[in-house]
Amino acid sequence: MSPERRYDALVVGAGPAGLAAATTLARAGRSVAVFDEQPTPGGQVHRAVAAVPESRRALLGPDYARGREAVEAFLASGAHHIGQASVWSAAPGRVGVTVGGVAHLVEGDAVVLATGAYERPFPIPGWTLPGVLSGGGAQTLLKASGLVPEGRTVIAGSGPLVWLLAWQYLRCGLTVDAILDSTPAGNRWRAAPHLAGFLASPYPVKGLELLRAVRRSVRVVRGVSALEAVGEDRVSALRYRVGAGAWVEMGVDTLLLHQGVVPAIELAASAGIRQRWDRDQLCWHPEVDAMGRTPLAGLYLAGDGTGIAGAEAAALSGELAAHAILGTSEGGRVSGLLAQRARWLRGRRFLDLLYQPAPAFRVPAGETLACRCEEVTARALGEAAALGVPGPNQLKAFLRCGMGPCQGRLCGLTVTEALAHHSGRTPAQVGRYRARVPVKPLPLAALAAMPATDDERRAVER
Amino acid sequence: MTARSFDLAVVGGGLVGAAVAWGAARTGARVVVLDEGDIAFRASRGNFALVWVQSKGMGMPEYAAWTVASSEAWAGFADELGRESGIDVAHRRPGGFHLALSDAELQARADNLKRLHNQPAMQRYPYEILDRERVRGMLPEIGPEVVGGSFCPLDGHTNSLKLLRALHTALARAGTPYLARHAVETILPRGGGGFRLLSSGGTIEAARVALCAGNGNARLAPMLGLSVPVRPQRGQIVVTERVQPFLHHPVVTVRQTDEGSVMLGDSLEETGFDTATGLGVTGTIANRAVRLFPRLARVNVVRTWAALRVMTPDGFPIYEESTSHPGAFVATCHSGVTLAANHARLVGPTIAAGRLPAETFAPFSARRFDVPQAA
Repeated sequence: MSPERRYDALVVGAGPAGLAAATTLARAGRSVAVFDEQPTPGGQVHRAVAAVPESRRALLGPDYARGREAVEAFLASGAHHIGQASVWSAAPGRVGVTVGGVAHLVEGDAVVLATGAYERPFPIPGWTLPGVLSGGGAQTLLKASGLVPEGRTVIAGSGPLVWLLAWQYLRCGLTVDAILDSTPAGNRWRAAPHLAGFLASPYPVKGLELLRAVRRSVRVVRGVSALEAVGEDRVSALRYRVGAGAWVEMGVDTLLLHQGVVPAIELAASAGIRQRWDRDQLCWHPEVDAMGRTPLAGLYLAGDGTGIAGAEAAALSGELAAHAILGTSEGGRVSGLLAQRARWLRGRRFLDLLYQPAPAFRVPAGETLACRCEEVTARALGEAAALGVPGPNQLKAFLRCGMGPCQGRLCGLTVTEALAHHSGRTPAQVGRYRARVPVKPLPLAALAAMPATDDERRAVER
Repeated sequence: MTARSFDLAVVGGGLVGAAVAWGAARTGARVVVLDEGDIAFRASRGNFALVWVQSKGMGMPEYAAWTVASSEAWAGFADELGRESGIDVAHRRPGGFHLALSDAELQARADNLKRLHNQPAMQRYPYEILDRERVRGMLPEIGPEVVGGSFCPLDGHTNSLKLLRALHTALARAGTPYLARHAVETILPRGGGGFRLLSSGGTIEAARVALCAGNGNARLAPMLGLSVPVRPQRGQIVVTERVQPFLHHPVVTVRQTDEGSVMLGDSLEETGFDTATGLGVTGTIANRAVRLFPRLARVNVVRTWAALRVMTPDGFPIYEESTSHPGAFVATCHSGVTLAANHARLVGPTIAAGRLPAETFAPFSARRFDVPQAA
C-alpha cells in the first residue's frame, strides 16, 4: 500500500508502542499512517502474531499471543498500516520513507517515532562465523518462519531473552545443550536494593516460572567470564571459562549470543534529539518526557526506543504519546497510564542491574572484530585511540568503523565503550557517532526524485 | 602549574594543521598540535578528496601556480608520508573531468577555462575540451545527456580520511603531541617573545604559533595582530555503498573511492555555521549524478553530510606572518587536500624556520583585502 501525501499523524514502527499510539489516535478520529519494515504489524516482540498458525502461537507462550489483541484493535481502528516500508529520515512534520522501491516524503502534523530496540553487540572472538547467530535473530526465525537450529545448540549471554528463547525452544521440542550464563556474579548485590520495586511490578509473574522451567531441563553454566567461538568455515566448537578457571571446550553447531537489547535511537538522533548515556542500561537514551514529548514540537517518541522497558510499558508509552498529541487533559486516564508505566519502570531497574553485561563482553580485545561491516578490529581501535582521537566520529574517519551498510548500529556502542576504556573517560564524555540521513540505505534514484526549490538547485548546478 | 613549552604550537588538527605540523616537525622543531573535540566544524572529515587543478586561479594566477606545484609534488609527498606512517593514502592522478549536461554548460565551461588561461602571468597547464564521443572513450558509462566536458591530466584524487590518519600517525611517530579537546580560547603574546595559548584543556607555551584553525582563524587572528576574514560556506555530499570499480577518472562532482564507494558532491551554500543536510540539495546532487552515470540509479546511498568550507572573500588562501607579533603565522585555505603537499613540504618547514619567503607568499597576504576594490 502506498502512503497518501499527508496525515494528521505519522507513526514509525508497528510494535507495541506504535500500535498503541496509532490505535488511540485513530479512535479519536485522526488520520494515521503507521510505517513498518515488516509485512504485518506486531513489531519484533509480536512479530507476525496475527499471521502465524495457532499452533505456533501457542508454543511461543501467552506474552506473544497477547500481542494479537493489540494488532486486532489496531487493524479495526482505521489507521493505515504501511508494511515493508523503510523510513530513512524523520523530522517534525515529515517522514522520508521508501515503499516498494519508491521514496515518498509524507507530511503529518505529529510524528511519533516508535522504533523499538535492537540487540546489544556481543563482540567475542569468532562472533562473525557462520553458525553464530544473535539470540534475537534466532527468535525472529522461530516466530516468522518456525525455523529452529539443527544439531548441538548453545545459548550464551545474559538477559531475559536468553531464558525466554530457551523456554520457547523447549516447548517446540528442541534440545538446548547448554546455557552459558555470562551474568557477572556481583550484579546480584548491585541489583538487590531494587528488588522491592521489582517484586511490586508485574515482572515476577512473567519471569520466575519460566526461569524454573528452563533450569529443570537445560544444563546451565553460571559465571562465564570469557567465551570464544571456534571453527574454520563455520562454528564447530566454543571455549569458555568460569571465573578465573581453566578453559573448557565443547562442540557446537549453533551458538546463539545475546546480552540484552538497546534503544534504536538513530532516527531520533538524526532528527536532532539529544541523547544521554544511561549508566544502568549502558546505552543512549533520547531526551524525552514521560508523555513522549521531545524538545522538537510535533516530534514524539514512544516505546523501547526511549529506554528499554518491555512490551507492556511500550504500549503504555505509545498511548501516552497519543494523548499528548490529542491534548488530553492530565488526570483521569492519563494519570492512570503514567502510574502503570511507572510500576514497570521501577521493576525494570532491578533487571537492568541484574543482567548488566560484563565489561569483557562489551569491550573486545586483540583481533576480535568491533565493526563487522568494515572489518575493524579491537586492536585497530586501540591503536587509533593512542593517536589521541577525541571521539567516535574522528575514529570513524580514521578507520571507517560505522561507515558500512549497518551505519554503525552494530558497532556504535562497542566503539564508544572501547574509546572510553582506552582514554580513561566515561561514555558520556566520549560521545557517539553522529546519525546521518539516510538512516536506512536508499537507492540513489529515490533520492534523485526528491523535490527541490530553485535555490537548492542553484546551490548545486554551476 | 607550569605550562608545557614548545618551539611551535599549531592550532588546528585538520588537514592544514596536521600537514603544517608534520612539515615543521620533520625539520627537528618541537611541535605541538592543539585541536577541538570530536564534534566540531571539521572540513577535513567532510571534504571531497580531489587533488584538483583545472579551473583554479581565476583572478590570482599565483594561486594557479601554487596549485600546480602542489599537484606535481603530491606523488612524492604521498610516498614519503606512506613510508613514515605505514598508510597508503591511495593517491591517483589519472586526469579528471568536469562534465556538461547541456551545450550551454559546455560552452560556459570552455569560456571560463579560456578566460582563466588568458590572464596575464598565468602559468598555463594542459587541458582539453572534449566532445561526447571523446569523453565516452574514457568514461564509457556516461549517460545520454552528457554532451562533453573538460579534461585536465593534472587532476587526481586521494583518500582524504586516510590522508588525515596518515598525517596524525606520522606526527605521533615523530613524537609530536596531538592534544584534542584543547580548543584554543585565547592567545597571549609574551613580553620577551613567544606565546601563551589558553585552551579548554590547559595552557601551552610556544616560541611560535601557526593558526590552522579553519573558520576558527577569524576569531583567533586579531589576538595576534592578523586579519583573517574567512567565512563558512556549506557543501553537502552524498556517498553510496561500495560497488565494483567503474569510474577510472575523478569527475569534479562524482568520484569512486579506492574502497569502492561513490562520492557525489557538492553544493555551495552561504548558510553560516550550519551543517544541516537537506533533501532538496542532496536530491539535486543525486539527480545530476544519475544523469551523468545512469548505472548509479540503483546504487544505495548510505550517508549524506554537510561540511563547511573555509572561504576568504576571493576564495584564495592566506599565508602570512604577523608584523606586530613576529612568530605568529596563519595558514588557511579551502583546498586542504590539494595543497597538502605544499603545506607539508614548504609551509611547515618555513614556519619552523621563522619566516615565510616573500617571493612565494607575498601574494597570499590578507593585506590584499585592504585595498579598496577599484571600479
